[in-house]
Amino acid sequence: MTWWCSATGLPWSWSWQAYPGVWLFIALLGFSYWRFGRAPEDTQATRYFLSGLLVLWIALDWPLGTLGTYLASAHTGQFILITLGAPALLLLGLKPRLAALASADTFGARTLRFLARPAPAFVGYTVLMLGTHLPDIVDPFMATQWGTFLIDMLWLLAGLFLWWPVTAPEGFRRLAPPAAMGYLFVQTIPGTAPAAFLVFSQYPLYRLYELAPRVTEVLTPRYDHQVAGLLMKIVGDPVVWIGISVIFFRWANAERQADRTRTRTESAASRPG
Amino acid sequence: MIRYALLSLALLVGGCRDPIPEIAADISGHPLPSPVPRPDFVLTDMRGGSYHFGDRTRGRLTLLFFGYTHCPDVCPATMENLGAVMNRMPAVERAKLDVVFVTTDPERDTPERLQQWLGRFEGEVVGLTGTIAEVEAAQRAARVGVAIRDTASGNYAVSHAAQVLVFSPDDSSHVAYPFGTRQASWAADIPKLLERWTGS
Repeated sequence: MTWWCSATGLPWSWSWQAYPGVWLFIALLGFSYWRFGRAPEDTQATRYFLSGLLVLWIALDWPLGTLGTYLASAHTGQFILITLGAPALLLLGLKPRLAALASADTFGARTLRFLARPAPAFVGYTVLMLGTHLPDIVDPFMATQWGTFLIDMLWLLAGLFLWWPVTAPEGFRRLAPPAAMGYLFVQTIPGTAPAAFLVFSQYPLYRLYELAPRVTEVLTPRYDHQVAGLLMKIVGDPVVWIGISVIFFRWANAERQADRTRTRTESAASRPG
Repeated sequence: MIRYALLSLALLVGGCRDPIPEIAADISGHPLPSPVPRPDFVLTDMRGGSYHFGDRTRGRLTLLFFGYTHCPDVCPATMENLGAVMNRMPAVERAKLDVVFVTTDPERDTPERLQQWLGRFEGEVVGLTGTIAEVEAAQRAARVGVAIRDTASGNYAVSHAAQVLVFSPDDSSHVAYPFGTRQASWAADIPKLLERWTGS
């Protein structure tokens, strides 16, 4: 019984495989949220969290989880979902509960306040993202269930680092909207390094994907690596841009609202009475 | 005194290691304990003509691989990686190299099937087939384990040797490359293999 997807070296098959470890992990996250993280009055937050959980489940379970041990491009697809997609939704789902902790003077609250600064978040995300893409890490780790589990968890952690400074509730967050947009844009830069290596290297970077049994005749190891690199930039970056757009439109709305309020107040004050 | 003892120990340990010929130390292929002469066998090529391996490849760098076209893992990966490297080699080097694929499943691997399957990969590869007795004789001549075909089911698997044998211009094999050899390793080694064991 395999509890978590890992490279087996067996020929690829489209037959369904069970990964109880993935189900247990998703169930545990869901239960913990329901029990400790949910704010019953905020149904939107609950929807965000459940969406994040769904994205995480899709990334980890069959078939994408399994394909991720055969194809570098599928592995990148998992990265996009686990690191760039799910954490933002999970954090938005936890926002109301976390807001209550903002004024606390506990170690946890102080740590969260520290990590909401852009510099530690940038370093945390970059180190984890680059480290988990090194061939010397990917090749041996992906060959074992614990290794794959660890990479998946590090990706999730990297995503939490990435999104926390812009999703943290008031009291934690220090970035004004323009700075938050700038911060997210800067976070898309380090990923260019592994993407460039994947696209432009003459020979495949990862031993695992170079020698894995073939899934399709069309996708040779080199093309697979190139697709992986392109996905990282062409699909991965726009996920972050969605975050930038949301911040921009919310900021614009807030400014418009403030303008309206100011105009109303001024016109009320100038009305002869 | 201690220094002499350590030196003696180092010499002893060094002396006990497998002897790796200096000429093969900087390549990723596994040196063979003793050179294997270029085998001499005749099989059928992809156009249905006879192919005398010994005559056609004599004096040339030749990579010989035994596999089958229904192989789900080792064979496509090996041929794909070799093809990718061949495709990026300078034409001068490429012209000095032969890559030969001998089927271990002659019942299913007809010349047409070989042509179709090998056509999927980059690079030019000679595909050979024959009768079961002929391909078994070829494997014995190349001194690899004879493949075992478990034909109980329709879509059967064949257990076969997974290494690529390298025959040098001196008509001997000094190194073999196990499954798992990467494209970058092939690309680095082929020029060295062309220079060494030239037979001159």
